Amino acid sequence: MPAEPASDSPSVTWSALREGIRDAAGLPALMLMASLVGVGGLARDIGYPLGAGVLSTVLIWAAPGQMVLFGTIASGAALPAVAVAVSLSSVRFLPMTMALLPLMRRPGTPTWVLLLISHYVAITAWVHSMRVMPDMAPERRIPYFFGFANTVLVAAALATGAGYYLIGQLPAALAAGLLLTSPLFFLVNMVAAAKQPVDWLALGFGIGLAPLAIAIVPAGLDLLVEGLVGGTLAYLIHRCLKARREKADAP
Amino acid sequence: MIAWLEHASGGLWPYLVIILFGFLPSEIWRWLAVFLGRGIDENSEILVWVRAVASALLAGVVAKLILTPTGALATIPLFWRVGSLVAGVAGFYLARRSILAGVIAGEIVLIGAGLAFSG
Repeated sequence: MPAEPASDSPSVTWSALREGIRDAAGLPALMLMASLVGVGGLARDIGYPLGAGVLSTVLIWAAPGQMVLFGTIASGAALPAVAVAVSLSSVRFLPMTMALLPLMRRPGTPTWVLLLISHYVAITAWVHSMRVMPDMAPERRIPYFFGFANTVLVAAALATGAGYYLIGQLPAALAAGLLLTSPLFFLVNMVAAAKQPVDWLALGFGIGLAPLAIAIVPAGLDLLVEGLVGGTLAYLIHRCLKARREKADAP
Repeated sequence: MIAWLEHASGGLWPYLVIILFGFLPSEIWRWLAVFLGRGIDENSEILVWVRAVASALLAGVVAKLILTPTGALATIPLFWRVGSLVAGVAGFYLARRSILAGVIAGEIVLIGAGLAFSG
């Protein structure tokens, strides 16, 4: 069978790009704005300039990572510990990116394009792309992804800036509400995403051990120690449960 | 140099901190995925552990922001800060697993409490 001629004509590229922008400009953009508006407040809270808050959204592009960054800096963490904590919160991008790239990679796709695509991998664009791309013509996928991902990125960057600005202008009750947005959004998201017992255990230990960690672990390391201890406990219990289940299933 | 960076909050240092201690440690996983190509099974044991640690860490950040808040959030009593999270989760389930509804429910409780205590 002869190879299909490359059909990456400008009209295909532009229509896929526009489709991506259209699909993003709704609930996906709104949810990201809701999660990043609080990050702007956190950035201001630790005395960082507006540009730094917006830059964190454009570069880190992971609201949980940004929360960890500003949250650990606020708690007085040493910067290397901050970097480790941020990195741990972003490990999930490794399997996510590895799962997504095969949908977009075609023979001859340059590495720099793949690296650029990988930068936009975050939960919203990932879930959406994994869902819609299998039914999409391969040549439309990359422009579609850039249309979608850049739209949510710009919306989130604007929300970060707006949150930064608003936190100083609003009455105390509304400013408090703005600062609540990120923790609340992620808690509800984690509850929504929890499927297996290990997810619930990690969530439970993460919250349950927090008062203890804050009390006994030196400030700055508390979150990191807590994440390692809580996550490992959750994992070990998950292993025990799994072993017991397999034993019970055995004849 | 690191100690010096920690105490700096003006000039270009916040931007450097974001690039060196936020962007690079985060981005490395995305880039690594490009070069690893394929290989790690998403359900492999090491990734189950990694995800559990990442979830516990994020949950810990949520708890810390609520238990030891800064700025305007500190003006809301602890009971209502925790209550707003409970309301958020309850709202999520009551509205048939709507994340938006959960967030709105939590915000209503917190902002309501804030208005009641300031007014």
